[in-house]
Amino acid sequence: MSTETTQGYYSPDEAQALFQQANEAYAREDYTAAREGYDKLLAHGFGGPDVLYNLGTTHLAHGDLGRAVLSLERARKQGGKAPDLESNLALARARQVDKVVGATADEPFLSRVTAATDGAMVSWVFLGAWLVGFALVLARRAWPWARGTVTAVLAGLCLTAAVPAGALLAAHVWVHQNVHEAVIVSPTVAARELPRDGARSLFEVHAGLKVQTLDESGRFVRIRLPNGLEGWAERDGVADI
Amino acid sequence: MRRTGSGRAAWFAVLALLATAPAWADDIEFYQTADRTEVGTEDAFHLTVVVVNAPANAQVRLPQSEDFEVLSNSRSSQRSISLSGGGPAVIQDVTRHMLVLRPNRAGSLTIPPAILNVGGRQMKTEPVRVTVKEGHASQGSAQGSARPALPDPFRNMPSTANDTLGEDEEADEPVIPRGDSDLFLRSTLDRDDVYVGEQVTLSLYVYSRVDLSSVDSVTMPKLEGFWSEAVENPTQLSSDQKIVDGIPYRTYLLRRSALFPVKPGALTISAAEADITTGFLFAGHRVHRIANALKVKVRPLPAGAPPGMSNANVGNWRLSLDVSNTRVELGQPVTVKVVLEGTGNVKNITPPKLTGPASLKVYDPTTTDKLTPSRNRIQGRRVVEYLVMPQRTGAFTLPALEFPYFDPSTRRYEVARTEPVTLNVEAGAGGSTSLGTQTPRLNDSASEQKNVLTSGGIRPVRYQARFEAPATPVWQRPFFATAVLAPLGLLAGVALMGGVRGRLATRTEAGKGKQQARAARKRLAAAEKLRAGKDAGAFYVEVEKGLLGFLDAQVGAPLGGLTRDALGERLAAAGVDAERRARVQFVLEACDMGRYGGGVEPAERQKVLEAAAAVMEGWGR
Repeated sequence: MSTETTQGYYSPDEAQALFQQANEAYAREDYTAAREGYDKLLAHGFGGPDVLYNLGTTHLAHGDLGRAVLSLERARKQGGKAPDLESNLALARARQVDKVVGATADEPFLSRVTAATDGAMVSWVFLGAWLVGFALVLARRAWPWARGTVTAVLAGLCLTAAVPAGALLAAHVWVHQNVHEAVIVSPTVAARELPRDGARSLFEVHAGLKVQTLDESGRFVRIRLPNGLEGWAERDGVADI
Repeated sequence: MRRTGSGRAAWFAVLALLATAPAWADDIEFYQTADRTEVGTEDAFHLTVVVVNAPANAQVRLPQSEDFEVLSNSRSSQRSISLSGGGPAVIQDVTRHMLVLRPNRAGSLTIPPAILNVGGRQMKTEPVRVTVKEGHASQGSAQGSARPALPDPFRNMPSTANDTLGEDEEADEPVIPRGDSDLFLRSTLDRDDVYVGEQVTLSLYVYSRVDLSSVDSVTMPKLEGFWSEAVENPTQLSSDQKIVDGIPYRTYLLRRSALFPVKPGALTISAAEADITTGFLFAGHRVHRIANALKVKVRPLPAGAPPGMSNANVGNWRLSLDVSNTRVELGQPVTVKVVLEGTGNVKNITPPKLTGPASLKVYDPTTTDKLTPSRNRIQGRRVVEYLVMPQRTGAFTLPALEFPYFDPSTRRYEVARTEPVTLNVEAGAGGSTSLGTQTPRLNDSASEQKNVLTSGGIRPVRYQARFEAPATPVWQRPFFATAVLAPLGLLAGVALMGGVRGRLATRTEAGKGKQQARAARKRLAAAEKLRAGKDAGAFYVEVEKGLLGFLDAQVGAPLGGLTRDALGERLAAAGVDAERRARVQFVLEACDMGRYGGGVEPAERQKVLEAAAAVMEGWGR
């Protein structure tokens, strides 16, 4: 057990104690107390995949499908991919009301690439290759003993490796900036044709459905379903992952 | 010559021989009989004409009538010698004429009398009246006839027909088809009234009075509603003799199958077909023959079946259990064989399933069958072999097994049973009492509850947490952009430093010249102070050093020590014009003269000083 966050509202021991209290509340099926405990940790900077997973599991046990999916997706986004997480996420999806017909694997290429790779890892690989490559170039200029072929080859390899790593990093940056995933958290949300209350309702979505948010206008956010359906939904019913 | 016997004794011997010689019976008997008095137009029946003690010249004229067709005519003779008391043996000759007749029309018909002519004397038999119906006459009338009394012309011939047909083979004779009387197919059943699951044996024969070359193809009938097992499938033709309506045929068995009806009702067996080649070599002739269809009445099993009874459980069965070892170590498997053997449809029976307590893991079994048909009856054994793996130590019981079946011979339900078997499972060499977690030794735990584990449900929460602050992507952290741009900045800085250093180097050369020029002017200023002094040499030394220092700085190379000509050339090479070179030469020569020639006039010193200043001030313009 380790704690990376040491500053903040709780000391590490207090955070652990609160986490255990929440777990015990979950064990006695006091889901409200358990959820409050996990929420407190998150609110004071003591988050992470484990807390989010427990929070999502608590919501799932409590029947709050939307927030269960939201917390579990957030846990997964923070690198918490694990069999228990995937299992509970699958269970939550199985309980969803909505069945998106026509949802295919036509997810954009960049989204698929970024989903398959770890952004932090890509960042570190790019940075390392970039710095080492330039360091070797500078060394060749500064010191005569570093002007050998080996140094040149290593510098070339590092800078060559930095090119695809940089491209992958650029993909992550683009997806991070442009693709916004969200989860429907309200039991029922109407997707309207225009971002106003009186607009015609195109379709309804229900808690737990994962969507993309494209645009925002006042109280409304434009959502896109995995099969391409789009509509304006009230912002309160949609939570970003 | 003396005579050795008397004539009287010889006469007595001849009389004695005559007294003991056999005597021929002299009473002639002549009659005819039919084996049936009621026949159908499709039936054949036997007419036998018997002549007893007919002399050699006796002539028999058999009855002839247009109402009957003679299918066959044969004759047999029999001579018997009987001895009674001390009298002579009596010899009796019996001659039988056997006709196979078939009526040509229905009605009350009369077979005319047969006639016997003996030495001019004529004897007649009584006519025989036969009632003829259309089609076939009933079986009962045939059975009620005097058929068993008729002689069999082939009774003395060796025949194995009865042996090959088996004890249950149907004794029914086939009907000779009108068109194909020389060669026809015949399907027979050993019985036509059975229970569900009881064996019926179907045999397909060729009846032939011609030579067979080969049977080219045989199409067995459709057997809907039957489970079929082959009993005989001869690969070579072998014939037997059989009399059909008094006509001798060679019979060839083509197929024999055991049929087990699987449902009650009137089941039909369609006609088999065969292509048969007759004759030999180039005289061969291929014919197609179709056998007769058959019907079987299948009765349902009677009421009162025991639990677990199936329609396939018919026959006579014995059930047994074979356990490889009843005392084993934990982890050692036990082989348990459930053996069901007997008579019936071996391949369709299902022996009872072996069960056991949860502490004995029973794996899926393997089934092997061994058929040993005997006398056309299907029998054998079915063995279901289980692998049983004890999971715990203790004494565990494999329960008794039961197999209910219906025995058609007794028409009763029976139950074959096995005894329970107890397995003693002991700890192995490691001393473990179970293959999984440590559990106490259990005694027969057949009733313990199963722990049902499914893969569904919510996974539990995590007991420990690794807390992390909300993570900012690495590329959004401040150091990242700095680190990425730093090498570029560093490279640019290095390049910039190189440029600056180059420039600084250039500028230093110029400054050095200026410094030298300033030093030269300082020397001239010092010489100005010495101009009015007594030491003229010091004055001219200062002027010469000042001028040469200035020239060194301007040309960029030391000029001291050069001859006047060499100095002139160097200045010319540096682009100094002739007038200035002349002034330099004037000053240097004046200095030489002043130091070594004694010229010490102040006016002269002033003139040299001004010339040196003029060289310096006008330089570079």
